[in-house]
Amino acid sequence: MTHAAAARRLSLLEWFKTITFYEILVGMKATLSHLIHYKPVTLQYPHEKRILPDNYRGMLALLRYDDGTEKCVGCDLCEAACPSRVIRVVSAEVPGEPTKRYSKEYYMDMTRCLFCGMCVQACPVDALGMTREFEWAVYDKRQLHLNKQQLLAIGDRSFPVREKRLELQHQNVAFFNVSFKHVPRKAD
Amino acid sequence: MTELGLRLAVSLTQIAAVMAIVMLTVLILTLAERKVLGWMQDRMGPMEVGPYGILQPIADAIKLFFKEDIIPAGANKFLFSMAPILALVPALIGFAVIPFGPDQTMEVFGVSVKPFVISDINIGILYILAFASIGAYGIILGGWASNSKYSLLGGLRSAAQIISYELNVGLAIVGVLIMAGSLSLVKITEAQAGGFWHWYVFAFPAPQVFAFVVYVISSVAETNRVPFDLPEAESELVAGFFTEYSGMRFAFFFLAEYANMVLVSCVAAALFLGGWTAPYPGTILGLLGLESAAWMEGVAWFTIKVYGFLFLFFWLRATLPRLRYDQLMKFGWKVMLPIALGNIVVTALAVFMYQQMK
Repeated sequence: MTHAAAARRLSLLEWFKTITFYEILVGMKATLSHLIHYKPVTLQYPHEKRILPDNYRGMLALLRYDDGTEKCVGCDLCEAACPSRVIRVVSAEVPGEPTKRYSKEYYMDMTRCLFCGMCVQACPVDALGMTREFEWAVYDKRQLHLNKQQLLAIGDRSFPVREKRLELQHQNVAFFNVSFKHVPRKAD
Repeated sequence: MTELGLRLAVSLTQIAAVMAIVMLTVLILTLAERKVLGWMQDRMGPMEVGPYGILQPIADAIKLFFKEDIIPAGANKFLFSMAPILALVPALIGFAVIPFGPDQTMEVFGVSVKPFVISDINIGILYILAFASIGAYGIILGGWASNSKYSLLGGLRSAAQIISYELNVGLAIVGVLIMAGSLSLVKITEAQAGGFWHWYVFAFPAPQVFAFVVYVISSVAETNRVPFDLPEAESELVAGFFTEYSGMRFAFFFLAEYANMVLVSCVAAALFLGGWTAPYPGTILGLLGLESAAWMEGVAWFTIKVYGFLFLFFWLRATLPRLRYDQLMKFGWKVMLPIALGNIVVTALAVFMYQQMK
């Protein structure tokens, strides 16, 4: 078969395909096969919910030690790490313990949070955690300005198993709750 | 009661029954379309209202009924209010000549009544085409009276599209009219009785396959459905001619679109697919000795054909993207029109030869 004849036959075939709406029929076959082999990917959301992955980054929360004391030492590193200025920390000395600090006030403006998790990574004492809560739609966006008590409450309900408080070497030298080897153990 | 009064009462009863059936079909269609479209796209469609969402049309109706009816500033109030009615009435009025079942007569208080057709006028199909054209006015006037550029553009597109494709509808059915020798839908359907090889899509001597394809495509275009939904192209024109409409007026346009779909499907079934005639000679119920119940089989076949055609509408919508405007016009005038005209010539010749030979 010559080249011209082959081309003519091809064009004849294409012409035939055009007049029989071949391509449209192929498309209609595809949609019909989806109708026959009906497997919906929909999840009926409020009734059934997705299984969230382990590293899901949801609502932020402040955590406590197992004795109920706050982990946060008021170092402001989370505030520094936050790319969208969600966090505001007001740090202060623990009354009666001049070397220990804590966050006197802790605010999060969750309207701006982009759930990057950098504050959690920045925290030296693991005082911040990301919960699996995501249903935080509210009618008034002022409800998303959270204070310390609210953040601690979220942590309480999302992390029932708490970390044990490190036994401090010496109350007065404890800094960031890290124990130093050269300091003698606290006598108890 | 005089005979005239009785006839009027019977006709009104028939009209009410047909209206109820058409409205019920439209209700079913609104749900069926969303469901079928959903299933074809691996979704579920409406699921919230009632079990599997079957009460969704009722919820939609209630919502539309209670919505605020807004007339935009600067709109022509009279035409703005008239347009939805002008769109809906022609769509519903066409059902007057559709034969839903066998051409029987019934005696009601001494008056002979045809139960399955409201009015068997001898120019039935012409009547439907004429009123379908009036329906275009509703869309065009609705687009113009809204005082919105999107509505106006939608109305203009619709005008051009409906004129182009109504021509093709009219020409596509001429072949059938030549073969049937009548414009009455009842007579056309009767002539196709006795098996699917008598249906005009397949009938000897001139199968109307091309005419059927032209009719299907043109009717999709005429009812402004995907892939020819340029008048309401939501990606370009917000919602086309009913952008400014809300509440019940919007519902009227919506009803008109779906009623038009049903009407077009009924006409397609009656003209090309044998209407209420079964695809085999006679009726099964007749063979079983239930001659008086044979009409049920006819009505069932008509229903199956109409719903099959409506399914095709949904199927096309799930498959095809929208055409470009120049493609639409080119396709209508340069492809559909010559095919329809050629079909008339071929059919006329074939029927003439056949009659000479007989």
